[in-house]
Amino acid sequence: MTLGGAIDKLPGPPEVSGGRAPVNATPLPPLPLEEADLREEVDLPLDLRREILALEARLPETMWEVLGLPWNASATQARAAYLDRIRQFHPDRYGGRRLGSFKGRLDRIVQRLTEARDLLTDERRREAYARETAAPEELARLEARRLDEALRSEERRARLARSASLVGTATRAGELVRRGRAALEEGRHGEAANDFLTAASLDPRNAEVRQLARQAREKQAAQQGRANAEEAEKLEKLGQLGAARERWSEAARLCPAELRYQVECARLARRHGDLEEARRRAETAAQLAPADARAQEALGLALAAEGRALEAKRALRRALRADGSLEEAREQLRRLRWRFFG
Amino acid sequence: MSETREPVIGIDLGTSNSAVAAVVDGQPRVIPNRAGLLLTPSIVAVSRNGKRLVGGIAKRQAITNAENTVHAAKRLIGRRWGSREVEDAREVLPYELAPGPDGHDVRVRMGGRLYPVQEISALVLAELKADAEAFLGEPVKKAVITVPAYFNDGQRQATKDAGVIAGLEVLRIVNEPTSAALAYGFGRQLEKKVVVFDLGGGTLDVSILDIGKDVYDVVGVGGDTYLGGEDFDRRLVDFVAGAFAAEHGGIDPRKDKMALQRLKDACEKAKCDLSELPAAALSLPFLVAGPEGKALHLERQLTREELERLTKDLVDRCIEVTDKTLRDAGVRRAEVAEVLLVGGMTRMPRVQAAVRTYFGREPSRGVHPEEVVALGAAIQAQALVHPEQLAAEPLLLDVTPQHLGIMVAGGYFRTVIPRNTTVPTSQTHVFTTVQENQTAVRIAVLQGASERAVENELLGEFVLSGIRAAPRGAVEIDVTFDITADGILGVAAHDRETGQRQSINVTATSGLSHDELEAIVKQRDAPLPAAPVQEEEP
Repeated sequence: MTLGGAIDKLPGPPEVSGGRAPVNATPLPPLPLEEADLREEVDLPLDLRREILALEARLPETMWEVLGLPWNASATQARAAYLDRIRQFHPDRYGGRRLGSFKGRLDRIVQRLTEARDLLTDERRREAYARETAAPEELARLEARRLDEALRSEERRARLARSASLVGTATRAGELVRRGRAALEEGRHGEAANDFLTAASLDPRNAEVRQLARQAREKQAAQQGRANAEEAEKLEKLGQLGAARERWSEAARLCPAELRYQVECARLARRHGDLEEARRRAETAAQLAPADARAQEALGLALAAEGRALEAKRALRRALRADGSLEEAREQLRRLRWRFFG
Repeated sequence: MSETREPVIGIDLGTSNSAVAAVVDGQPRVIPNRAGLLLTPSIVAVSRNGKRLVGGIAKRQAITNAENTVHAAKRLIGRRWGSREVEDAREVLPYELAPGPDGHDVRVRMGGRLYPVQEISALVLAELKADAEAFLGEPVKKAVITVPAYFNDGQRQATKDAGVIAGLEVLRIVNEPTSAALAYGFGRQLEKKVVVFDLGGGTLDVSILDIGKDVYDVVGVGGDTYLGGEDFDRRLVDFVAGAFAAEHGGIDPRKDKMALQRLKDACEKAKCDLSELPAAALSLPFLVAGPEGKALHLERQLTREELERLTKDLVDRCIEVTDKTLRDAGVRRAEVAEVLLVGGMTRMPRVQAAVRTYFGREPSRGVHPEEVVALGAAIQAQALVHPEQLAAEPLLLDVTPQHLGIMVAGGYFRTVIPRNTTVPTSQTHVFTTVQENQTAVRIAVLQGASERAVENELLGEFVLSGIRAAPRGAVEIDVTFDITADGILGVAAHDRETGQRQSINVTATSGLSHDELEAIVKQRDAPLPAAPVQEEEP
């Protein structure tokens, strides 16, 4: 016999592949599905036909539902559910049977199951899809969790601030300022700057503290610049010109307005053959103090080294006009003249 | 229910050898041919007295009758005349090829007659069918036939046609590596990712399967349709013939068809021996005629080292293809829990070593590389017809081996279903018109990997007409590709505006027209094919 005979027993018990089941034995509960679809003559058990129709009706729903999973189920669950469903609904499982319209239904189901598998077993796509398909209450829950976390981190910050201060922000700022002034007087400029800056962050509207912080910073820089310059002079005496040059550069970086540091940088750069650097340093110096003899001398020597004779002569003359005792400037000027004439 | 006992078989139609298997008492087993062997050479010949020979007897007379002995037909099946593959084959095959009447398909000259390649393969299939019938004691009508995973639709269709000519209803064309995995996993309750490395006589196939709950889910396939044992043989032949010519004043044994055939056989045998031994002897007395009509003999040793040196690049290629397949499928080497070696060429120690090095694990040796594919085919055949007779009911989920798409403006190819997509599947892309007031579009369905449409295989075409006249780009046309579980591709085009709809079921042309196929089948039903064993020539 073939399974096609099953249709005779539509209202009968669901088992189909057996022999002569009693017809009309127990009445079925009302069918939620298309009666006509169930009446088609195919070689599939009634139960299975029901399941196929039920799943087909659910295909437009979310990928989770197609696989019979709760929202946001894991990739592992998705794969396991896929394997179970595909084993049940793949048309190859019913090869050699008369399937009628159920063939197309099974194909559509398998396609959708495979789509769901492809999407939900890819962790990145799965997460995006979970956000996309979250039910309103799930979205609300997610949002609540996010807000909750934001609130908690705010509290954490506040607790931290409270524990850092003994008697509150203002007191703490006042303390810092007092300590900073003391440090400033004792020449510990770095520490003073730190204290003033911390106080300024606690009390951002206090202009005086900000002013103090800036002063302390400048003093600290000047101090460090001086230390670097002293170090540089020492190194130069020892003949370590490279190291000395680095020190001068550091001093110039800390105190960009200090003319002497720029001039020294220019001089050492020139000695190292770094002509462009030498000229830039000399130009900076000349800009800081256009009338300064040392600055003009440095500029003149730098330009001469670069072969820009006319500009060099002008700068050197300016230098000598400001200070006639500059031997190096005079010597360079003479050489330039000779060459000019020769 | 008499049909529950109707036997079904699985056939591994190989380039060099074929095998047939069936499920007997719930277990798959390979059916011996009438000569008592499990493998049947995929060779067909017409002897000088006009008899058609198939299998072992055809192979045994190949040396004396090379022009009328057809081997490696699998390399030609479903190929187009003028394609690179056919041109290459013409250079190395001793038998003659010619174009079919429409100039597209390939015909083979054998015994003074031109045969479509399908008919050659059909002779092998009919021989296997007869062997199965002799063994099972019942007529056999249904079969699953395996092909390399990389075969395109045309090649699959041609293989199906060969089955029809042989009098078989082809239940399914199954990919060889998938089939091997099925046989390997049958009854083992595997839960892991398995790579099948299948290096056969003519092709390399690499497939990645995710197996669980008896579902064999193919997640990636790749391969090279032109890399196999015969390429290894040819390297040996060229090497030996070159050395021979150098020694004997330029006399090249490859120029003599009979000598070439003897040399090929000897080299193939030496190659197989070298898988077991460090050296093998080639002994071909009276190979060719020398300068004064004196016969020249070829006597020499081949070492495994020489073989490995000559074929190093081929082995490297195998690994490159494997690596690309894994990358395309997005599978990391570390995820692979099992590597299965299939195909006779995987007996070569160098190939095994290369696979071992690449995966960092010992390949599985639990399967017989030349029988496993037929066993899997038998299991699948049984699962498709009488699953209740199997101990475990496996389910194969295969993928599309190549991109499927249509030709778009400028002669470009646009993919609609990418390769490695699990079937059944359905995909829709929106296309538009390219000209003002265009009222018809031609939909050309193609398969392949090239960006240029002409370089891909044309599967079919149709015209969607009755589009409303509109500025170009204003009309939107949905093109839907639909592949069913049994691999039939349907393409539909649908004008969103007017509701015009056109569709076709695309069956790739195998090169044989419907009429021609019917004529051959009719001819078959008149007394014919496989020659009985006792008619072997002396």
